[in-house]
Amino acid sequence: MKLKSALTIAALSLASVSYAQEAAKVAPLEISGSVDTYFKYDFAKVPNIATSFASDQNSISIGMIDLALKKTTGKASFVGELSFGPRGQAGSLVPQGAESFHIQNLYASYAFTDKFSMTAGFMGTFIGYEVISPVANFNYSTSYLFSAGPFQNAGIKGSYAFTDKVSLMVGLFDDWNVYTDVNGVSHIGAQLTVSPVEGWTAYLNVLSGKSAGAVGVGTIMDLTTSYQVTEKVKIGLNAADYTIGNSGGGYSGAALYLQNAFSPAVSLGVRGEYFSTKDKVNGAANLNVVPGESVTAVTLSANIKSGGLTFIPEVRFDNGSADMFAKSNLLPTKSASQFSLALVYAF
Amino acid sequence: MKTFFLTALLLITVTVFAQDKPLSLDESGKLIFYEVVDLKTVPRDSLRQRLDIFLKAEGKALKVKSKASDSILQAAGKTIIRKTALVLSRPSGEVLYNFYAELRAGKYRFWLTDFNFIPYERDRYGNFIPATSIGVPLERKPGKLNAGEWDAYVKATTKDVNAFAARFKTAMQQSSPLQPVLKAVPVISTKKW
Repeated sequence: MKLKSALTIAALSLASVSYAQEAAKVAPLEISGSVDTYFKYDFAKVPNIATSFASDQNSISIGMIDLALKKTTGKASFVGELSFGPRGQAGSLVPQGAESFHIQNLYASYAFTDKFSMTAGFMGTFIGYEVISPVANFNYSTSYLFSAGPFQNAGIKGSYAFTDKVSLMVGLFDDWNVYTDVNGVSHIGAQLTVSPVEGWTAYLNVLSGKSAGAVGVGTIMDLTTSYQVTEKVKIGLNAADYTIGNSGGGYSGAALYLQNAFSPAVSLGVRGEYFSTKDKVNGAANLNVVPGESVTAVTLSANIKSGGLTFIPEVRFDNGSADMFAKSNLLPTKSASQFSLALVYAF
Repeated sequence: MKTFFLTALLLITVTVFAQDKPLSLDESGKLIFYEVVDLKTVPRDSLRQRLDIFLKAEGKALKVKSKASDSILQAAGKTIIRKTALVLSRPSGEVLYNFYAELRAGKYRFWLTDFNFIPYERDRYGNFIPATSIGVPLERKPGKLNAGEWDAYVKATTKDVNAFAARFKTAMQQSSPLQPVLKAVPVISTKKW
């Protein structure tokens, strides 16, 4: 009887192994995601720095749980990415109704050839250095340029790779950060990608169009580049200019990223940023920076990794050209500082 | 009878769970997979022809970098490391390596070395892409924090390298190019019944 059981188990094992080998030949469904949580403390004891997402003062708060699915069948593929939590919902998209989730990516692609592909749907924006997901950002708090720029764009785009080093994307897009464009497909965008040397990639981006309710056509020009200098040292740069016609305001700025990996598990990085708003007369305040004023910010972060977990202790100092922050007695002041501890788990 | 079944069970188990040949360290401390294969009756030109056929069959997975000399060939390859659970899977990174083959009349040797791990990260579109362009040598000890993950990368690489070696040795034994096997599609005749 025991022998019979043993043989049955062996047969089942064989069947399982064979099945696994067959399954491996088919592109599997990819599932990935992340969760993040943080504690932030502003030294003025009031929420001050208008960073996206990590905004709760003196509170252990949640970011989001993010779940992504990807499947490729031949030349066709889709990505569906859904997030739940403050970082994914109201933090990055104007709430539309009472939904408790936020779509990060929902698109389908078709690769007509090795060089040319087309994609349509709702996608993470091609503008800028930082992204919504905390997994792909080194610093936990986000830059002014990230918060002021688009987060996502719905649209249709075609990408063509001229060589391994040069490619071009051109597309038609809706207004920024909306599932539905109420004034029609109103924006045109393009991205030129250049990789001059191994480890160095630069993206030249432009997105232009008139959003619903805007006084003029808004055009954002953006340069995003990063260079892996050595195994340990990485440099990144983001520079952007956004102008809305008819004196509608806008912003410009630049952020420099320097990172050093002391070991595969421990890295230290600093971000220095300058951000200014345009049009003293008609422009609107952007991230607490009133029109015509500017802010300089320095953020020092560490990334300590163990498996899928990253621990991010961070300290940040912001200094404005005018009073744009608050002291603990709520009187206005030019500077603000905060520290935060974040846990990000990617799977 | 009982002994026979037990022996059969043992053989089955050994076959199914056969260990891959582990990666070794070479003189310079690098991980290496090294084999010398004797094919006594095969002339060098035939081996060269079989090697070319193998490289062509591997396609984009193996890029010929240089021919260091007339007899040694160098090519660059990579293997994707995946985390898999049931039918779900996602790539963790890739391991780049160099493949060398040297041919002589009646024998050849080949080795895979310069293993460098490049972790993947998810980009803004939900795709996994290399997080860096400069890899970490696989023989380097990662420290306690990531030791478990690193062991998994080495095991996965060992498995893929063994599979590559098996493919290569099979190709080098073929006396003529492999022809795709056409399966006969069963047809039901409705005329005879």
